[in-house]
Amino acid sequence: MKRMMLVLAVLVLFAGSAFAQGTTKLEGTIKLGGIWTLADITGKQGSAAAQLAVDEINAAGGVLGKKLELIVVDDEGKADKAAAAVEKLATVDKVDVFVGGMASGAELGKIPAFKKYGKVVMSTGAAGSATVEKALGPSPESDFYFHLHPWDYNQGASYAEGWDAIQKKYPQIQIKKIFLAYEEGAFGKSSWDATKVLFGSDKRYTIDGASFKSALLGGGDYTAVLEAAKAFKPDLFIWAGYDADALPMLEQAKAMKFSPGIYLGAPPGWPIGFGSSKLARNVMLYGMWSPAINDINPVSAKFYKNYIAKYREEPATYFAPLAYSAVYIVAEGIKAAGTTETGPLVKALEQTKYVSPLGEVITFKPSNIIKHQGITRQKILQWQNGIQEVIWPFETATAEPVYPFPAWK
Amino acid sequence: MGPSLRRHNLNIQAVKMAIKQRKAIIFAISIATAVVLILWKPTVLIYGLQAAGLYAAVAIPMGLVLGIVHIVNLSHGEFMMLASYATYTVCRALGVDPLIALIPAALVTALFGWVVFQLTIRRALKAPELNQLILTFGLAIAFSQIINLIFTSQTYKLSLEYSSMSLDIGDLSFGVWSFVFVAVAVIYAVGLQMFLTKTRTGKAALAVGQNPKGAAIVGIDVYRTYGLVFALAIGLVGAMGALFLTKSAIFPGVGSPFTMKSFSLVAMAGIGNIPGILGASVLLGLAENFLRSFRGTRDWAEIVYFVLIIAVILSRSLKGKKS
Repeated sequence: MKRMMLVLAVLVLFAGSAFAQGTTKLEGTIKLGGIWTLADITGKQGSAAAQLAVDEINAAGGVLGKKLELIVVDDEGKADKAAAAVEKLATVDKVDVFVGGMASGAELGKIPAFKKYGKVVMSTGAAGSATVEKALGPSPESDFYFHLHPWDYNQGASYAEGWDAIQKKYPQIQIKKIFLAYEEGAFGKSSWDATKVLFGSDKRYTIDGASFKSALLGGGDYTAVLEAAKAFKPDLFIWAGYDADALPMLEQAKAMKFSPGIYLGAPPGWPIGFGSSKLARNVMLYGMWSPAINDINPVSAKFYKNYIAKYREEPATYFAPLAYSAVYIVAEGIKAAGTTETGPLVKALEQTKYVSPLGEVITFKPSNIIKHQGITRQKILQWQNGIQEVIWPFETATAEPVYPFPAWK
Repeated sequence: MGPSLRRHNLNIQAVKMAIKQRKAIIFAISIATAVVLILWKPTVLIYGLQAAGLYAAVAIPMGLVLGIVHIVNLSHGEFMMLASYATYTVCRALGVDPLIALIPAALVTALFGWVVFQLTIRRALKAPELNQLILTFGLAIAFSQIINLIFTSQTYKLSLEYSSMSLDIGDLSFGVWSFVFVAVAVIYAVGLQMFLTKTRTGKAALAVGQNPKGAAIVGIDVYRTYGLVFALAIGLVGAMGALFLTKSAIFPGVGSPFTMKSFSLVAMAGIGNIPGILGASVLLGLAENFLRSFRGTRDWAEIVYFVLIIAVILSRSLKGKKS
């Protein structure tokens, strides 16, 4: 009987300690300072996804026995506000690490303050190499900065690589003539310059292009640019503009019976409900993530499911899984380093091998100027039956391409 | 009849003749331009007229407010944006077409315009013009920020089959839906002209616009008339907001470029000259599309309206000096 009581007491003790372990109160916090443009869907969903990652990590026991805390400041897409946000987060909130970012202009404003405080930065945006990467400068002065999003030259190179691979695998897809319709702002013009260099320099492709005023900037009449494209008879028609241009341009293309072999859009995001339009069928796009990746990537599926459960809306932009990844990478780095001190944390982050929801393992390698560049490849996707299917890279492909772009009926 | 009166009558006849001649010349130039464009660059004529229709249909209500209430409403485009969002919300919720929601959208926006007038603009009518500008500019910012908070900056667009309706003439295929804006612009111009000259309320509005003190002396309720005219203009721009949704994507900043373009067109036409807004819009639409049709001048299209404004205002001031 005494023996039985002893066993029971030991069991109760174990159960008690297990219960206590399950509800361990995390002592202290590790603060992450998040800076996004909150009025923009990329910032709104990016910060929401970062908070989701923080909640998941805290629910799983936190980091080094401490709770993660995300403090978000809105930079309103402006360089001065972004710089002030860094100052506030560093001095008032005393954050340990910075995350976030989208527009290159706002990111540029943060860089002097980032350098002043020298804390680790896990950046989720800013593709402008001529401004942001140049301002960061080479190693070691920029070693605190980990850039997850591809630079503009990374994106361009990956498109050229992708189209070469697609033509090789699918001989029926032949691209000789490329037409770029680009919005007349800095984004469109840099796309045009990059396209001329990437596709036009070795004379394998014949390139032409014309600018248009984006609806986002008060335009919305694409007839002239589409007339020029129609006269050129391109195999690949690309438009580089904004989400506001997506459907109206397709409507005008259909009205003019302009149906190139491949019709591809390269906006930073797509309008709500674009996929449900009949006109969206087989439109191609550049991007980094789509819900279709859930079928081949359990991390993506988990992220997607938890995001919808928490926010009751679908992540509409790849900046959401990118920000989610940023928090997980930082958390794993702090765990490995055992501290948030910049030196050891940088060393730990250099060893990152994070299986991300974006369908690839993120590691950091040197780019043209900085030492810590994460993702370097964009994806080529296609709207098929309302879903963005990945066509290339083939290792993350979720569907075969539909070619040619169907003629309008 | 004395010799001076006879001379005066002769002068009037000469002026009338000169006006007739000028109208005939403008008409002849317009016909000649249309014929040349049909033969040489038909797309310039087609797309130029479509663009003109859109510009005019948005600008005419602003011309009405400027001509009668005498304020530059810098939130004009934002009222259109609000109507677009309201229509979009109703269309998504009830599954109706924006064309069905057009009349209710106009009525609701008119009511909203009336409330905004009573609460804000009415109180600034006697204030200096700068204060009025700041007030309506503030309204514009408030409207777009409220929409930004509710809907975010994400764009919304309804996918409608008829938006991509097309017509083939020989080898030429072009969209025809945007001609609806031409029809609306003509209806607005003719309708307002009739309203202002044939109806009792319209005549009262015209009187208030020309001489508010005189109108008040003869018993017209000036502020009530201002409120009605403002609500009418906002209702018209609200209907355009619903119609705009059939062609374009909407986002919080979609209205502001139309405010600037409308103001320019009203300035080109001359204050109170509603048919003149139609003419100025045609000139702008054709000039923009003409430049866009050539590779070398494509990027110049956006500065056309600045050039036209400067040219028109310069010629008007020179003419004023002469007379």
